[in-house]
Amino acid sequence: MTDAQSELTGTPAHAGVFTLVITGAPYSSQAPQTALDFARAALKAGKQIDRVFLYGDGVHLASALLAPPSDEANLARAWADLLTEHQIPGVACIASALRRGLVDESEQKRYQLPASNLVAPFEIAGLGEWVASTASDSRVLYFHKGA
Amino acid sequence: MSTPKRTLIIIDQAPYGSFEGREALDMAFSLAAFDQTVSILFSGPGVNWLRKGQLAADIHQKSVEKNLAAAPIFGVQALLANAADCELFNLTQDNLLEQVELVKLTPELTGQFNHITFAG
Repeated sequence: MTDAQSELTGTPAHAGVFTLVITGAPYSSQAPQTALDFARAALKAGKQIDRVFLYGDGVHLASALLAPPSDEANLARAWADLLTEHQIPGVACIASALRRGLVDESEQKRYQLPASNLVAPFEIAGLGEWVASTASDSRVLYFHKGA
Repeated sequence: MSTPKRTLIIIDQAPYGSFEGREALDMAFSLAAFDQTVSILFSGPGVNWLRKGQLAADIHQKSVEKNLAAAPIFGVQALLANAADCELFNLTQDNLLEQVELVKLTPELTGQFNHITFAG
């Protein structure tokens, strides 16, 4: 066995299951598009994605109010379609989301805000969702603003 | 059965200039709260998180000193700082927060962890 092979089998990602964590915002970083390209390639190759977790500025990806010019990619729509088609849970961190004005109807009521703007099928939940992925056999990949 | 994870979160950006470090700290505390093994490594300009006497209120932010001091109590295994970067930023035992372990950033160090992530 070569060193490279031994390194590969030594990773915890033996099942080919990925969790994607996106922390870079759409339209100010490439992270959401890079992650989308990775997700499409992974699914096409028969791999699984068990969860997409939006954290930090990445939560803007779950906004229903993004309205980019028609000749640019609508990243929120593209991600929502991919998650729906493959029944992948999409979660926006609640602390990151509330700070940045991304709320679902429940948080809108709780904080008496004038509107909600979370695009389905994204849900708002705590960091425990990310912890669950890190504690599992999934390989957790991070897409930061430089990605 | 899942492989037990030993997570290292690396903060390599100076405090207060962006929110990434603060949110990385939240990640570390969350892991600790769920009884997961986690350490934090400060490197590059990130070592300035560990400087004593931060006056964050002057720029309308909360100081991270108390959070970091409480990290071991909340179950964060270690606060590590790259010794060479501390030297570069003139951080010595006199102005460094207690409970910080100075380390050399080597493959042997990172090899002790099987889940490593940067703050952003």
